[in-house]
Amino acid sequence: MKTKYVLTTGLVLVLGVATEAQVLNRLKQRVENKAEQKAGEEIDKLFSGKNKNQSGQSGQGTNGPGGSNSGGNNPSNKGGGLISTPPDVNQNLIDAQAAYTKNSYGEARYAVQQAMLGVELEIGNKVLKSLPETVAGLNKEAKADQVTSTGWGWAGLMIKREYSTKDKEFRVIIANNSVWMAAVNTYLASGGYAQQTNGEQNWKQTKLKGYRAIIEYNERSGYKLSVPLGQSSLIVFEGVSFASETDMMKAAEVFNLDGIKKELGEQ
Amino acid sequence: MAQEFDKNISAARTSYASGNLQDARFAMEQMLRDIDIQIGKEVLKLLPAKVGALAMNEKEDNVTGTGGYVGLYVSRHYGTDAKRASIEIINNSPLITSLNAILSMPVIGGMMRDENQKIIRVQGYKSILNKNVNTETGKTNYELQIPMNNTLLTLKMDDTTEGEITTAANSIPLAKIVQLAQ
Repeated sequence: MKTKYVLTTGLVLVLGVATEAQVLNRLKQRVENKAEQKAGEEIDKLFSGKNKNQSGQSGQGTNGPGGSNSGGNNPSNKGGGLISTPPDVNQNLIDAQAAYTKNSYGEARYAVQQAMLGVELEIGNKVLKSLPETVAGLNKEAKADQVTSTGWGWAGLMIKREYSTKDKEFRVIIANNSVWMAAVNTYLASGGYAQQTNGEQNWKQTKLKGYRAIIEYNERSGYKLSVPLGQSSLIVFEGVSFASETDMMKAAEVFNLDGIKKELGEQ
Repeated sequence: MAQEFDKNISAARTSYASGNLQDARFAMEQMLRDIDIQIGKEVLKLLPAKVGALAMNEKEDNVTGTGGYVGLYVSRHYGTDAKRASIEIINNSPLITSLNAILSMPVIGGMMRDENQKIIRVQGYKSILNKNVNTETGKTNYELQIPMNNTLLTLKMDDTTEGEITTAANSIPLAKIVQLAQ
């Protein structure tokens, strides 16, 4: 047992030193990179006749601009990122059937998962389209719209939308079809949160358009209203700099919960 | 089973074509379940009829497909009450990723190591061997966990030795199982 503690402490120390060293190295590289990048580009031009950054390689890079590079004259990446076309559902279904007929079950499963991913992304986009353009005088942040799906597994489908001005923000997060959601919903819907009478009350049970919900308040992050929808969906509204609970509830009431629920296939 | 799959795939197609995305997704979940069960049946065919001297109990063979969440579960049992063994396979489950992560971190693997646990290689796969001495019977039981990509195979044997369980593990065609299940 003693040895374990000694080992753990040793490990923490070693990792700590290692991390510090890494950070220093990275800083050093950044500085060197900037200086060498210019020279590197000139050399690239000399040998290939064109700038490496503009060589038409698109759609594969994952590093954002300014991402760290470890090489001496590697220019920082300015790629266009991954192509975000969702998987072709029909094609994947064709592939799944072909693989299944050939008893190639692993391939069949992969194709079905891809098809499911495609369908989930479409569901997510449809839900996003159905959400209001403005909430409590805040316009939507089109760039922040997000649909995430794993096609299967724990995470399920996640839909995000933000509305904001400089000092006020309203966020909507919709989670659907994830494994843990069922458990969360049972807990919330059963009134599992115990209400206390003494001390500070930072959350309470409430109702939003007839749906049972939990509203929480935090000095730093503001209001958070969680509404379970059906068997496996949850919609969370977060409001920053909303003057009162009433304001927050009014903002959330703009949303068509029945419509979202229907879009998600919940009963 | 193939009929079920065909039925579900045509349901998925029709629903998708008519814009009924929820029903399409549901049909696909069913398809994943069908495929998992089919994979499970194929995996069972690859498992040995005997583990050491213990014969399999075919009636206890089990395949469960959950269509993604827990993934595929296959089990086969061997022997009688006097001495039992079992092979369990979990495939396509998000849980396996975390196990793989633990195994691939030598430091943590090393810290976890105690006298009843060690990491060995079976057919090239890093595996965790657990020893468990039953204080009532005085018998030594072993459990060997072999994570392979998205598949976890667990071999359990009662009243055995490290040599016997390793030999038994080597009689399982791991590479073929992985190929089938991935």
